[in-house]
Amino acid sequence: MYDLLWLIPALPFVGFLILTLAARSLSQRVAAVIACGTVGVSAVLTLGMIAGFLWNPPADYAHTVTLWQWMPLNSLEIAFNLRIDALSLVMASVITVVGFLIHLYSSEYMQGDEAYTRFFAYLNLFVGFMLILVMADNFALLLLGWEGVGLCSYLLIGFWYQKPENGFAARKAFVVTRIGDVSLLVAVFLIFSELGTLQLSEVLALAPDRWAEGSTTAWVVSLLLLGGAVGKSAQLPLQTWLPDAMAGPTPVSALIHAATMVTAGVYLIARMHGIFELSPSAMTVVALVGTVTLLTAGCAALVQSDIKRVLAYSTISQLGYMFLALGVGAWAGALFHFMTHAWFKALLFLAAGSVIAALHHEQNIHRMGGLRKRLPVLFWTFVAGAACLAALPLVTSGFYSKEKILWDVWISPLGGPWFWSAAILGALITALYSTRLIMLVFFGEAKTEVSHRPGKRSSFVLIVLAVWSLIGGGIEVPHNFGHLTLLSNFLETAIPASVELPPGLDLQLWILLLVASAIVTGGVLATVWLYGSGSPLRQKISDRTSGLQRFWLGGWGFDTAYDRLLVQPIVWLSQINRRDGVDGLCRVAVSLGRTGHFLLSTTQQGRLRRYAIGISAGALALLILMLLQ
Amino acid sequence: MNPADLQALLPILIVAGGALLVMLVLSFKRSQTLSSLLTLLSLAAALASIPMAMSADADRIAPLLVIDSFGFFYQGLMLILTMVVTIFAHSYLEKFRMERGEFYILLLLSLVGAIALAQASHFVSLFLGIELLSVSLYIMVGYIFTRAKAIEAAVKYLFLAAVTSAFLLFGMALIYARLGSMDFITIAHLLREHPLDDPYLLAGSVLMFVGIGFKLSVVPFHQWTPDIYQGAPAPVTGYLATVSKIAVMAVTLRFFYSMDLHQQPGIAAALTLIAAASMLVGNLLALFQDNVKRLLAYSSIAHIGYILVAFIAGGERGPEAVTFYLSIYSLALLAAFGVIAYLSPSDRDSDTIDHYRGLFWSRPWIAVAFSIALFSLIGLPLTAGFMGKLFLVSAGIQAEEWLLVIWLAANSAIGLYYYLRIVIAMYQTSDDPQSEDSTAPPFALIIGTVIGLLVLSIVWFGLHPESLNLWIRALSTQP
Repeated sequence: MYDLLWLIPALPFVGFLILTLAARSLSQRVAAVIACGTVGVSAVLTLGMIAGFLWNPPADYAHTVTLWQWMPLNSLEIAFNLRIDALSLVMASVITVVGFLIHLYSSEYMQGDEAYTRFFAYLNLFVGFMLILVMADNFALLLLGWEGVGLCSYLLIGFWYQKPENGFAARKAFVVTRIGDVSLLVAVFLIFSELGTLQLSEVLALAPDRWAEGSTTAWVVSLLLLGGAVGKSAQLPLQTWLPDAMAGPTPVSALIHAATMVTAGVYLIARMHGIFELSPSAMTVVALVGTVTLLTAGCAALVQSDIKRVLAYSTISQLGYMFLALGVGAWAGALFHFMTHAWFKALLFLAAGSVIAALHHEQNIHRMGGLRKRLPVLFWTFVAGAACLAALPLVTSGFYSKEKILWDVWISPLGGPWFWSAAILGALITALYSTRLIMLVFFGEAKTEVSHRPGKRSSFVLIVLAVWSLIGGGIEVPHNFGHLTLLSNFLETAIPASVELPPGLDLQLWILLLVASAIVTGGVLATVWLYGSGSPLRQKISDRTSGLQRFWLGGWGFDTAYDRLLVQPIVWLSQINRRDGVDGLCRVAVSLGRTGHFLLSTTQQGRLRRYAIGISAGALALLILMLLQ
Repeated sequence: MNPADLQALLPILIVAGGALLVMLVLSFKRSQTLSSLLTLLSLAAALASIPMAMSADADRIAPLLVIDSFGFFYQGLMLILTMVVTIFAHSYLEKFRMERGEFYILLLLSLVGAIALAQASHFVSLFLGIELLSVSLYIMVGYIFTRAKAIEAAVKYLFLAAVTSAFLLFGMALIYARLGSMDFITIAHLLREHPLDDPYLLAGSVLMFVGIGFKLSVVPFHQWTPDIYQGAPAPVTGYLATVSKIAVMAVTLRFFYSMDLHQQPGIAAALTLIAAASMLVGNLLALFQDNVKRLLAYSSIAHIGYILVAFIAGGERGPEAVTFYLSIYSLALLAAFGVIAYLSPSDRDSDTIDHYRGLFWSRPWIAVAFSIALFSLIGLPLTAGFMGKLFLVSAGIQAEEWLLVIWLAANSAIGLYYYLRIVIAMYQTSDDPQSEDSTAPPFALIIGTVIGLLVLSIVWFGLHPESLNLWIRALSTQP
């Protein structure tokens, strides 16, 4: 069965090819069937592989398929080889299953759009590249997937390219992530020059032998890899592109900018865990990046007025949790949160998309309100998603995944109380902004008329995601109630799953759990009261903090700062540098080419005798050259 | 000649027999379709007979021909390419009111010469092969005799080929005068005892190279190329640019490598100069060329220059890289000439860049196919052209020919400019859609499918070069 592995990424590519080549002759219905069908079959295959791993695991819990060698050069062998182990299967299952659901949702959501087929072609292409990225056993192939998803992200953010600001957002996303890509590329070069291989499994096997723990090389490589991850996953300081990326269609935000592509950085670090473990200081940098990001992005989410930007900042903040978990060595915790986050954030984005569609493309939450009664399906599913995001105790999957991260942060030697406190503060902020969103959108008085209701397919997808978000946390339950570790057991075959739990900490952990639950519940209740009761306190807070609000609304002024510190100086430099020597060199090359062309053209006048003379002269010159030697 | 020898010669015999058959059938029934079908059949039969010929217990048809897998690989390649040319020519000639069946006799006869060249191991078979190949080509170039350009091209080609054949013959005579043999193997033996700096031998090999260099169109014997490429009908140009050059390259590889001439310092220096000059001159001449056929002619000069890099490098990788590059270059070039043939109306070939402006919007498939063929000629990754260049460069690096390799890379950059000019033109929106765009050529589906297959093979070999390389390595390691 594992030999069918190549089909998983190949099918979406086939879908892309059909949709692109036959674009003109396909009806929307057929296009949707092709797009959903290919991803659906990939999803079934992926789940089949997981079942195979559970009942009848292959040797070493990994299976590699070498499709063929691409470039056999002396020491550099670039092969098309795919490898599945627990880690890639977890990623692939989320990509294909959530991807399938979002395809299904889009087939209704995008109806009536002129470029329906183009949309699905891009979406299929994205799924194909994303699967290549997580299944590659080779840095060259991984980079292919990495750049491929970046390209699709660019194409889909700028999907409605007639509007210039969408094109601008697309370019911004592309350029900013590019900075991270360069860092990743340098890391790959460094790995190749140090270890002489690009094969991921060999790199992981060789690294501990070649590099001592704490060695500078491991540190540099880790930080460069982190640079790549930070760009793709929109972490500080390269987070500025994600809020603008919301210019794309909402299903795109759900699939690419919440569930899958932005977690590529998490995957990269988890995959390269062997290198990061060699450099504890780099791990701490990862944890720090995550912590600062989760706090700053959370604060920014508190004050946004565009529903999609709230979700975008919350995505950045939740990714921060995953980075924090990675940084303290809680690999399984990061992956668990990745899974639950993929479900509930896809749910939130899709529900938000339906809300926006229902209200004449209104995205400002201050002009929404009162939708609870009028759009009940959306209300309940959105509440389910928001509850998961806020990590409401016991009933939501977000609670279990976030709690696992909080514990691991507390226990881990790389974590500690300080990180834990920051994370718990982040949890409070999350609770506040999720509740604020619900209150503003669904409660209060109606401000915009409902023009459109979600159809059957959309509702079906939303309900499936909502149910799964609520109960899906059950695959991993902490030891003090239930003790179920399906996910970490599965992941343990690929990566060191969890932080070791020292004995005798039970009481401490109970206290932590209760504190966290109390803070989250308190935050939710306080916000409900603040927005529900019409208390004057809300106005007071709002007035007192207007300056801070503006600051946070602009995302901590990063865009302005980058504009001042980087963009303007570079523009200025290039402007004063306009007439430098390099241009001159280029112009010399051009004029040399031009002159050469016209000089040589004079030899091509079409006269036979000149040609004969040319041949004879050439022969003579060669003869002289040879005989003189 | 015993039965095993005949068995080993099956491909060439079948092709020659095919020419006779077409001639006989034509005297009873004048039908283009029938002739081209018979041609295709005999080419297919010849291709199918290669495994049988390989299994024959013969290694030499003394003294003229040698039987080895290197020769069979080149035969197979040329047979496939000629089949493609036949299909293109059939659709192309259908547009003309003239006797068309005879074209295939000429095509088959010239292929006999080409196959003989791939197996030649003697001056006589070398000369006979080249002449057989060329004499048919003179007529094929001028086949559309109602076009003044075609007649001009045919006469130019005839005249210059005669001149260079004289050089070739005189070179052979000089070598024979000194060594007393015309057999490659005997010469190679004699050369081991005989110092090569003998002026007779040097002059002889230089004069021979004039004849060969003319066929390969390397600088300074290149000037005829654009005129003939432009004047000849598109399918003939495709044949001239691929099969004829492959055959000559095959015999050159065999001749030079059997006596290690490419390692003789003086000859190596001359070859290096020729390679460098070919790359630069070819690319510069193509730079602002507005005629696509002339552009491809100039660029072919540069491509032969690239190939010479691996040729000079030699070693284990050199011949492999040469063969690989020739194969995939021919696929891309034939696809390009197929597109030209596809789009050409009967009065003249569509060969200026303006003919291709906005092609994507009227015929997206053809435009995409042409773009991929051009990308492969540029050498962009994921097309076979990239792999070809990579192998050339890797052979060059292994022989530490750093200057040549850098020169190759720099010249490829020039190539980018003029190929992309065509690509850009195809994707521009044209204001006045030309009326001729709407008419499809005869048998458009067949010719379109063949172009599609060529393009698919280009992409396939770009993604999976080993599938071709395995064959090359197994069959043609050392000539």
